Amino acid sequence: MIMKYGMTSLLLVLLSLGCYAQEVLVEAESFDNPGGWMVDPQFEQQMGSPYLLAHGIGVPVENATTKVHFESMGEYHIWVRTKNWVPGNWEAPGRFQLAVDGKKLAKILGLRSGWGWEYVDKVAISTQSIDLELVDLTGFDGRVDAIYFSMINEPPPSAPKPLETWRKTIKAEPNIPPTIKTYDLVIVGGGIAGCAASIAAAEQGLEVALVHDRPVLGGNASEEIRVHTLGIYGNFERILRKLDTEHYPNGSADAKLDQKKRDDNVKSYKNIDLFLNHRAYDAKAENNIIQYVDARHTSTGERIRFKAPRYVDSTGDGWIGFWAGAEFSYGRESVDTYGEGWEEHGELWSPKEPDNAVMGSSVLWGSKEIDAVQVFPEVPWAMPVAREYARVAGEWQWEYSSPDMHQIDDAEEIRDHMLRAIYGSFANAKKDTVNANRKLEWVSSLVGKRESRRLVGDHIFTFNDAKEGRKFPDGVVIEIREVDIHYQTVLEDEKNPDFISEALFYKTPEYYIPYRSLYSKNIKNLFMAGRNFSCSHAGLGGPRVMRTTGQMGAAVGFAAALCKKYDVNPREIYTGYLDEYLALIEEQKFEKIPETKK
Amino acid sequence: MKYTIPILFALSLFLGKGSDCFWDKWAPLRYQKTLERAPEFYVLEWKEGASLSPKTSDMYIEVDTLGNQEILVLSDKRDNPVLYTSEIVTPVCADGECKMMNIQLYWTLLGEYAGFDRYPELPLTKHDHDEFGKEDYLKLHDLLKDDKSILGRRSINQLVEKPTMRTVNGVDALSGATIAEVKESVVSGALYSCYTAWHLVHGKIDKKLKKHTLGILNETMLMDMLYSKNPDYQLFALEKLNVSQYEDHYLQIATIFKTGIPLVRSIIAKELPSKFKSSPELEKPFWDAFGVIDLGSRSLLLKHLEDAPQFAVLTVSDKLSALSKNQLKRFLEYISQQDLTPEVQSNMEAFANSDNETYGYLVQEFLSNHN
Repeated sequence: MIMKYGMTSLLLVLLSLGCYAQEVLVEAESFDNPGGWMVDPQFEQQMGSPYLLAHGIGVPVENATTKVHFESMGEYHIWVRTKNWVPGNWEAPGRFQLAVDGKKLAKILGLRSGWGWEYVDKVAISTQSIDLELVDLTGFDGRVDAIYFSMINEPPPSAPKPLETWRKTIKAEPNIPPTIKTYDLVIVGGGIAGCAASIAAAEQGLEVALVHDRPVLGGNASEEIRVHTLGIYGNFERILRKLDTEHYPNGSADAKLDQKKRDDNVKSYKNIDLFLNHRAYDAKAENNIIQYVDARHTSTGERIRFKAPRYVDSTGDGWIGFWAGAEFSYGRESVDTYGEGWEEHGELWSPKEPDNAVMGSSVLWGSKEIDAVQVFPEVPWAMPVAREYARVAGEWQWEYSSPDMHQIDDAEEIRDHMLRAIYGSFANAKKDTVNANRKLEWVSSLVGKRESRRLVGDHIFTFNDAKEGRKFPDGVVIEIREVDIHYQTVLEDEKNPDFISEALFYKTPEYYIPYRSLYSKNIKNLFMAGRNFSCSHAGLGGPRVMRTTGQMGAAVGFAAALCKKYDVNPREIYTGYLDEYLALIEEQKFEKIPETKK
Repeated sequence: MKYTIPILFALSLFLGKGSDCFWDKWAPLRYQKTLERAPEFYVLEWKEGASLSPKTSDMYIEVDTLGNQEILVLSDKRDNPVLYTSEIVTPVCADGECKMMNIQLYWTLLGEYAGFDRYPELPLTKHDHDEFGKEDYLKLHDLLKDDKSILGRRSINQLVEKPTMRTVNGVDALSGATIAEVKESVVSGALYSCYTAWHLVHGKIDKKLKKHTLGILNETMLMDMLYSKNPDYQLFALEKLNVSQYEDHYLQIATIFKTGIPLVRSIIAKELPSKFKSSPELEKPFWDAFGVIDLGSRSLLLKHLEDAPQFAVLTVSDKLSALSKNQLKRFLEYISQQDLTPEVQSNMEAFANSDNETYGYLVQEFLSNHN
């Protein structure tokens, strides 16, 4: 039985020794009022669900509250699915408690290693509705996935697969989402690429769904991550100016100024249906043609199936392609694979043997001076990462990548590693009296990824394409920005912090990305735009910045319009309609003459 | 245009003071002495009792409008080249004012920065004519050590311009971070001198020097590089060693693996099975280093468990505390297909039963399933 107030629950009536047993699952992200806790859906594919995060940067956040309804009165055991995000010989940083009807339960939670169920207590439920609260004790990123009440003293499964099955069962969730929506084009991922694709397609008259897992648009350029956009506008200045940012320092609060512009611009298109806070969780292909993409609201859990003749994967991690069975690559090719070596930087640029090293993810942050002395708590659990490093703000160099970590599978650990780096470095800086009045102002809770899966298209864009300024008949993206590839400075000196990177810059001539790098080689109706476009590791070094990825998005949006016009798949635009496509793109360079002035 | 000021400056010195006077003061100090001590600022290790004799070469470094300056080869007593050097005299001009910069630069055999000597009687000066202090020279040394400095990819004009906010279809404006990076890395008040020195050290000369070395490379030089602490030398030597040399010097390579930088380690780790294909027992010192190497190199080493000799599992099982969660999972996944020896079993039980091991529960779960 699904109860109201956004909470998921199930009444299981089990006749056992003459008693009724009941169990209720409360998804934390569905709390009526999350208070100061924030919904974090970034790692759903790794740990099973969006969760609530007490990201108070050292100050306990306000309680999250919700009503929980019970069919049967009696004694209930309570478990919380949580994890101690820095297990070790110190007090766990993310401690919290539960409160029932305003009364705190004694058990301190957030102590177990790895995601799993922590037993809380046994409580007597004597009313049909109780008030449940999450009480943060630290402000240092305690996390709660779900709370489970059961009359039977048996925790739910912890292992990922059994847990997934159990969750589906207890929610009585059918495989097919209850709502099905059909569009001309479904775009998943509302970063700059996805936004540009949406606008381009919408301007050509397509009915577009833009599915994005955050409350605001822009991805890495959003006010939530705050990376400024780089690169040139190419053929799509008019569209990209609606979406890009000023050249503020990365991490600057100035990112908020461009947020409103971007959101307003995308929302101004009546034929773009914007599904914010919806995270795609599945895509199904038959005969290499995607049939649908399923997405779930990150708080309510409400699910929608999106159907369209064509799809754009601008998720950054290539999720749609991955689920649909698209060919993809990850990591660094060997120097011989495409001949992408740069002798001066050898292994740092392109390895002799292929490996899984990729450019890392950033978590940006900043602090400010205020009038009164500010105290920052001791953070012993951060020190093994921060060591002696002392800073009061972070820029793009704050980045983590390691052969031990996969940018998708280990994204939560990577985010958490960066949080330790930030809190520890700031605590170190606070030891200097010059920073007595300095207050931690903002720390992103989102990982700003540079590189992850790269879907394979008909052309794999390489460093050589950039280096030689190779011209293509279908060159639709233009860039002049130098190619830069990052590496962790700890590789050169173990004394360096492992969360600081350095960039190697290669100055290129103007270069071009062909349209053939923007659709899947084997999934017939899939476009891709953004960092998951078809390229090699070194090929990604230049065009991964966001005006360039925006160009990719716009190019794909216009191609999708022609696909609809001729009822063909993306490849056929190259093989059969290239001239018309290029002419359409050429048109974008010029402001249209208003009808009144013709 | 950019050469106008230095040319005028040189001419004024030349014409004003007479040629003899000019060259007495500014001409290179002809380097004819044997070098019997390390350069004052130096990145390589200096061998006790070393004595390096200068020899001319056919190489020159293009310095400025005053022309090319000679590159000398400094060779040891066995007549093997050890360093390249050049005595640099060049004008440094800022805001229409020029000063001479005198500095003796040294390069490694691979054309990388090796160090410099200053001339006490001709100190480097800042924009306000203050002389460099010891701290300033050290900062310059640090800057020159950084072959990836931002000075390498920006024109001097870009570095002194104020940043602009917007970038439009062209120049990538300097961000606040970039400005901070420049400020942090150069000697305060001596941007032009730093910029000039950096570009002399890391300019086109590096490729010429390396090419020269490749032309005269012999086994003694290669072994000197292998036994050096310089990571570039180590990488170069590891790349050049043939299979039998690799095996003959495996103990030195294992020493590098233990004490070298993570980048060098990572290459050794990646190549371990292929290099010791016919003599896998030589891998032992590398696996023995498992507990002291960095996290990344451990991950790379663990990828080779399948191809590793028997002793590897025992060695790793004795160092479980050093493993990250992912590494531990990887190890457990591998040994789940193996019969555990009593020693391995015992190591794992000790780990699982310890109260101080964060991931002890993973091994507990494994042991209960495996048994």
